[in-house]
Amino acid sequence: MKKEVPLIITFISGFLLIVALFIPHEPFGSLQERFNDWYIIVSGFTLILGVDSLLLYHWRKIKTKDKDAPYSIILIITFITVLLWGIYSGVKHGNPFAPASTFLRYFYTYMFVPLQATMFALLAFFIASAAYRAFRARGLNATLLLVSAGLVMLGRVPKGEIVVPFFIAITLILIAIIFVLEAVARVSLYERLLYFALALISLIAIIPLSILLREYLPALADWIMNVPQLGAKRGLFIGIWLGAIAMAIRIILGIERTYLK
Amino acid sequence: MVEVIFIWIAAGLTLAIFSFLYKDNPFYKVAEHIYVGSAAAFWFLYLWFFDVEPKILGPFKEVFHKYGFSGMWAHFGAEQWILFIPIFLSICMLLRFIPPTAWLSRWAIAFTVGMAAGLGVTGALQGYIIPQTQATLLPLWTGNPLTSFNNLIIVIATLATLFYFFFSKEHKGVLGVFSRIGITFIMIAFGASFGYTVMARVSLLIGRIHFLLFEWLSSFFH
Amino acid sequence: MREFFERISKIDRRIIYLIVLVGVTIPLLTRKGFEFKPLPEVKNAYNFIENLPEGSNVLISIDYDAASMPELQPLLEVMLRHLFRNNLKVIMMGHWPLGLPLGQIALEKIAKEMDKKYGYDYVFLGYRPGIAAVMLNMGKEIRMVFDVDYKGVPLDSLPMMREVHNYDDIALLIGFEAGSVGDFWVQFAQARFGQKIILTSTAVVTPDLYPYYQAGQIVGLIGGLRGAADYEILVKRKGFAYTGMTAQTVIHVIIIALILLGNIGYFALRRMR
Repeated sequence: MKKEVPLIITFISGFLLIVALFIPHEPFGSLQERFNDWYIIVSGFTLILGVDSLLLYHWRKIKTKDKDAPYSIILIITFITVLLWGIYSGVKHGNPFAPASTFLRYFYTYMFVPLQATMFALLAFFIASAAYRAFRARGLNATLLLVSAGLVMLGRVPKGEIVVPFFIAITLILIAIIFVLEAVARVSLYERLLYFALALISLIAIIPLSILLREYLPALADWIMNVPQLGAKRGLFIGIWLGAIAMAIRIILGIERTYLK
Repeated sequence: MVEVIFIWIAAGLTLAIFSFLYKDNPFYKVAEHIYVGSAAAFWFLYLWFFDVEPKILGPFKEVFHKYGFSGMWAHFGAEQWILFIPIFLSICMLLRFIPPTAWLSRWAIAFTVGMAAGLGVTGALQGYIIPQTQATLLPLWTGNPLTSFNNLIIVIATLATLFYFFFSKEHKGVLGVFSRIGITFIMIAFGASFGYTVMARVSLLIGRIHFLLFEWLSSFFH
Repeated sequence: MREFFERISKIDRRIIYLIVLVGVTIPLLTRKGFEFKPLPEVKNAYNFIENLPEGSNVLISIDYDAASMPELQPLLEVMLRHLFRNNLKVIMMGHWPLGLPLGQIALEKIAKEMDKKYGYDYVFLGYRPGIAAVMLNMGKEIRMVFDVDYKGVPLDSLPMMREVHNYDDIALLIGFEAGSVGDFWVQFAQARFGQKIILTSTAVVTPDLYPYYQAGQIVGLIGGLRGAADYEILVKRKGFAYTGMTAQTVIHVIIIALILLGNIGYFALRRMR
């Protein structure tokens, strides 16, 4: 009973939707709409799952006089205040988010929005620091990733094409230096000449590459986004959705049952 | 006047969160807990005002106003009675909070999981896999060499990426070559995604600095 | 020599934070914008809206929250102004509850500015849980999902909604996306009901949406602050996004310079070992 009923419910609801896709006639069409309507009602209650454990966690911290208990008190007071303020505005204006409500005008606009927006603005600092620390041209694949990222980052912002020659010059001079150092370290004359030649080519390449990218960088970024990037993403997502379908079918057939634990 | 006070509160909260960049500190912690506490309260408000009130109580409103609580039951139509199914499932969901009856919440979860699975299969099949496959069947010779080249690259990139994730066979021979081409395209795509992610994060910072400069600091000069 | 390379590969994170902060603040203070040309996918979106007949209904879905506000909120305002200027009617709803009020705030602000009337020129439906289920049932009859607006007013008592029943009565859907709801809009409203869609998205999800654009599943794609700036240029009202792009350029250059610096240190030290 405890296990069979949920499995049957899952099977019926999932299977019905798939049948309704292929046979959109009665009774499947209207049954699907009915199920969707119920889903809208029931899934709303999943919103508050987790809130209970959050509150319980902080309640325990307060009771055990944890060193972070003052923060937990703030959290619970905020929770109650916001809830009451929201209900008050909601009853007064029909909805807490009505334009005239103080809840929307003050609490949401000047407290909630800045908090959430700033929390995520921190990521700008973190991504800059992480890119500096971890983004190394360690191999062919990593280099490809770096070059593509750089071209898109500069190609999608105004005047990016003006700075791109500098970056190309610096990068190619560095590559040339590496080749020269390589050449000095070699013993055979043939290898030495080869590395010197490569260094020379890197240096000469600066000029045509700079001129080309100075002119065509935005177009190149467009091309990356619309052609190779697009193709790879399409392949990737076809794969991901195929995987999701396989998983969904396993769930509907009751092979995958972890959600019942 | 009230607006000005609240701009100061907003600026204070913004700076409190930014203070985390120096190191973790009580100002940041207070702001963080206010954020989590209010978000938790929000979910209850949404559940009530956008689900329970219009979808569950709404259909009963008219009969209730006409006949009162005890009299309304006799005047329910099929539409009202049938609503008791999702109401029952919703109550099941809430029973999770009471240990002895917690197992009943599985019925509700089973329903939402089954629906999500069914919706997922139909959406992915009809909305992604079929139309995206069709869109990949591109003419490889269009008369325009550039378009033809681009079409060819799109086809190769899509197929090679798919092959890269084809794990049922060892990546050797032709499959090996294809999957190596695949990883090349995947790297280009991830690079582009990284570039765009940087753009997104920086935009968020621009938004906050803009607020501090032009809404908060400029309020000094009015 | 070695010390120098060690130093440039181990700059303290707080110094990097400071550089980023200065790099954003100074360009914003100058309030200068660089010239650039709008992307074709944005121009297509703009043209599609320009060609809608007067009085058409446009459905706007708020699927983002304050975490991506700077990318989408200014664009929402510019777009609403464009829609109202062309005498199009706006129906707004959303799938991201935490951000839904942002849509409401923008809608009320622009409607007031353009002298538009609630119930006649625009309507705010609010939110219902269940994303895909909501989209599917709206294809049959909007009243199955939203029989009342966000304040509990029956849809039939709002004049502009009397003739609106499903996607057939909606000329265009504009989704403001910070996550995967855009995929659902395409998969359910477009694939099943043929709804015309423009997606405007945060830069994080934009690359993933290009396949939809190439396949013709969406008629326009406006991505990130760059897309918003493009749109500002097209409607000839340069604002936050346009001037913000200058700061964007500066930070991108700084980040690439930092990556380069990190790599110089890395390769030099590797060679010395």
